[in-house]
Amino acid sequence: MQRQRRKLEKINKIDEEELLVLKKRVDTATAIIIILVAVLIARLWFLQIKKGDEYSRLSENNRIRVQKTQAPRGNILDRHGRIIVTNRPYFNLVWTKEDAPDPDEVIKRLSKIVNEDISTLLTRIREATGRPRYLPILLKEDIDWPTLVYIENHHFELPGVRVEAVSSRDYLYENLASHLIGYIGEISKKELQDPEHSNYEGGDPIGKMGVEKVFENDLRGEKGHRYLEVDVLGFEQQELQAQDPLPGRDLQLTLDIDLQRKAEDALEELAGAVVAMDVNTGKILTLASSPPMQLKEFIGGISFKAWNEHLEDPLYPLFDKTIQGQYPPASTYKIVTALAGLAENIITPQTLFYCTGSIRLHGRRYGCWKHAGHGAISLQRALAESCDVYFYQVGQKLGVDKLAAYARNLGLGIKTGIDLENEKAGLVPTSLWKKQKKNEGWQEGETLSTAIGQGFNLATPLQICRLTAALVNGGKLFKPQIVESIKDPDGPIVKKFEPEIVGEIYGSEKDRQLIMSGLVAAVQSKHGTATKAKLDNVTVGGKTGTAQVVRMKKFRSIPEDKLPRKYRDHAWFTCYAPTENPEIAVTVLIEHGGHGGSAAAPIAKIVLEEYFKEK
Amino acid sequence: MLRFDRRLVQHFDWIVLLWVTLIATMCLMNLYSAVYPNTPPGTPVYIKQLYFFIMGMALILAIISVDYRIFMSCNYPIYIAVCLLLLYALYLGKTQADTQRWINLGFFNLQPSEPAKLMLVITLASFYSRKDTGKGFTLKELAVPIALTGVPFLLILKQPDLGTALMLGFIFVSMTLFVKLKWQTLSILLGVCMSFIPIAWEFLLKPYQRQRIETFLNPESDPLKSGYHIMQSKIAVGSGQFFGKGYLEGTQGHLDFLPERHTDFAFSIWAEEFGFFGSVMFLTVYFFLILWGLNSAVSSRDKFGTLLSIGVVSLVFWQAFINLAMVMGMLPVVGMPLPLFSYGGSSLMTTLAGIGILISVRMRRYQVPG
Repeated sequence: MQRQRRKLEKINKIDEEELLVLKKRVDTATAIIIILVAVLIARLWFLQIKKGDEYSRLSENNRIRVQKTQAPRGNILDRHGRIIVTNRPYFNLVWTKEDAPDPDEVIKRLSKIVNEDISTLLTRIREATGRPRYLPILLKEDIDWPTLVYIENHHFELPGVRVEAVSSRDYLYENLASHLIGYIGEISKKELQDPEHSNYEGGDPIGKMGVEKVFENDLRGEKGHRYLEVDVLGFEQQELQAQDPLPGRDLQLTLDIDLQRKAEDALEELAGAVVAMDVNTGKILTLASSPPMQLKEFIGGISFKAWNEHLEDPLYPLFDKTIQGQYPPASTYKIVTALAGLAENIITPQTLFYCTGSIRLHGRRYGCWKHAGHGAISLQRALAESCDVYFYQVGQKLGVDKLAAYARNLGLGIKTGIDLENEKAGLVPTSLWKKQKKNEGWQEGETLSTAIGQGFNLATPLQICRLTAALVNGGKLFKPQIVESIKDPDGPIVKKFEPEIVGEIYGSEKDRQLIMSGLVAAVQSKHGTATKAKLDNVTVGGKTGTAQVVRMKKFRSIPEDKLPRKYRDHAWFTCYAPTENPEIAVTVLIEHGGHGGSAAAPIAKIVLEEYFKEK
Repeated sequence: MLRFDRRLVQHFDWIVLLWVTLIATMCLMNLYSAVYPNTPPGTPVYIKQLYFFIMGMALILAIISVDYRIFMSCNYPIYIAVCLLLLYALYLGKTQADTQRWINLGFFNLQPSEPAKLMLVITLASFYSRKDTGKGFTLKELAVPIALTGVPFLLILKQPDLGTALMLGFIFVSMTLFVKLKWQTLSILLGVCMSFIPIAWEFLLKPYQRQRIETFLNPESDPLKSGYHIMQSKIAVGSGQFFGKGYLEGTQGHLDFLPERHTDFAFSIWAEEFGFFGSVMFLTVYFFLILWGLNSAVSSRDKFGTLLSIGVVSLVFWQAFINLAMVMGMLPVVGMPLPLFSYGGSSLMTTLAGIGILISVRMRRYQVPG
């Protein structure tokens, strides 16, 4: 007890001593603080008294303001370096309320000059109420040269009216490859909140769709700045210093303008898609979806009305059918069934099936498109004449899951990985899928439909084109490539994209050759389904497809062209050429176009003709 | 429950309260000028700041009503809680201009790096007061306080908020030097810090932070970003001359030349409008409050109270000094508020809480510890 108390006292004493020592140091702290405050006051004296006059002059006369200058966006080029999209100045007519409080008289005059209804112009002004008075209101975009000159010359009679030049996209080939190119627009509030966009500011343009969006970081460049000396009222006096904007990089696509244009012209008035691919590299030469988007409408922001009109258009112009359109692959799928049959040794080239025009399974009749039947038929003829009964039997022997394995291996049911947004994966049904999705067991009859590409099967035109390329290029499944390289505006290549093999397909080279000979027969032989794709100078191999949209009996008897459009079949054709040494694969899909051989094959022929014309 | 002692009221530090009110009035006046005449929509900042002042007064009341020694007994729970808040802000907080600093509390966005400063003061004060400091610290004995500082330091640096992280460093150095180091320890620490600078420069600083420092060293190299801020701030301060341009008559601030003019650059508006005369007056009032805070350190009955007071004073002083030096173009732009004067709820509440601690220590100078 005693000892403990003494110890405690000792500790307390030490504490007391220490406290005294610490308190002495407070004087040092006080001294430090006073010295540093003296430094601050000395600095104030230096700035405000010694240099006060100088800074005062700077603040009165030389007011520096920073102005941002938009960077020119990179161009988009085709594979040969031809410009598809560039920039040009757009002259917009604006009106500032602050400069002319009463618009009526001016608007009346303007409506004659720009040939626009008074009410349209007034609406624009009304829509802008509530905004600060000094902000210009946009009255009309993209006025032409004579109008511009007239307005500039009659400047004094049009108070408050100005012409503002803004740089925006110039589409040299109008809507060429519109879905692939995409469009740009003002950055939205939501996009601004994304930390990825921390170097953007309100009002900045940003890619909203297509390669404009995917390659935004390369295309946009960097804003520049101008240091302006402004007077007390904020008017520009002189430019002090400028940092030029850094132009965006150019994007060289793998597209071929000529081929793309031919395809789009051929699709005019139709709803459909054309995909052309270099079979040995996976480079996309054509990616056309019809009807195209009206890119010009997106400059300066598309109106709500126009957007809604496009949304309600039964031909779905806003929808990229090459990568987002999912259709039953129909008879083009027979390539899959044939490869699976050969690789699994279920059929040989000599195997014969007998087609009577239909097959019965569990009391149901599954018909061949040719009601009279093909008779005894081998693989080559079955592909050439697209005999359904032959492939029903191959499919039945394979079973749906084995078939699905081959379909996936050929790139169906999965996204191709093309550098575009919102690609769809299609669908390859399996028994497990049906169980999970519909909670039903797989029916054998459904295997028959699957084997000829009907039923639940869904594929995009790009997938079918890639599948065709893989069949004829020695079995290599490529990632479809749309960008060749990214270049600095003064020429040097910054990044070059290389072909990317993402898979090897099952089956031997011999199996593939057998199927190819069937495809050649489909185009070149007399009874083939695709004779309309035949070219004079090059041999072509291809497969037609006619995807049923409705199964109803009552429509069966009506001729195709008498049916309402929405009940007509989708027409497919996928092909490659030259057959000896394949270079290009072309896939065509026409929504509600009817028969593949008559509606789709001629369009593929136009594209092939253009391709081989160059050679 | 603590028993209520009438002496507490008798010893309440009315001078501090008067001084805080004086500075608050100048702050609100200045904020009014900062957004004048184009007040942005929504509640104006000076009204919001007024609310924060009122809330801060309530906070002071709450702090002085309990014995400050309670902070010593619960310093580690406070420490852990604040570190968790920092972690939360870092990973789940609100992003603003590429930094993760905020926690949304509905009525306002809490910036946990602000209370972290005060938390560090409490932590170090309790740690050092538990130790026998007579002979000075060796490097080994410093390991714990270095680690205690290091955790929040790194968390804040990661946000990234260079200014606040540096502040933690300043607090650590000030308090540690105050309790005395061994000479050798001091030289080793200095050596380590010096060699750390290039590493920090290369790996820890974000590009914009590096650029801020680079432009400070050579302001003409990038007049756009930080160089521009420094230049405009110097023009604003300098053009005030002796008597200033007059209240609400400043031109630099009002024409949008000055960025962040109601937060970090608030003083430049004051200096422009009230000139050398008004600025010296302001500095006198302001630093009188800080020196008065040292009174608490001297009058405290125990080591904890002294160290706590020293910590709070160093916290306010270094922020003020760095901010003012930055506004006057003597230091790089690092994002450091002028306590009590810059707009910002988290900073204001933290500063007022610190002042509450000072009052509390001084109020209890006649109470026997333990």
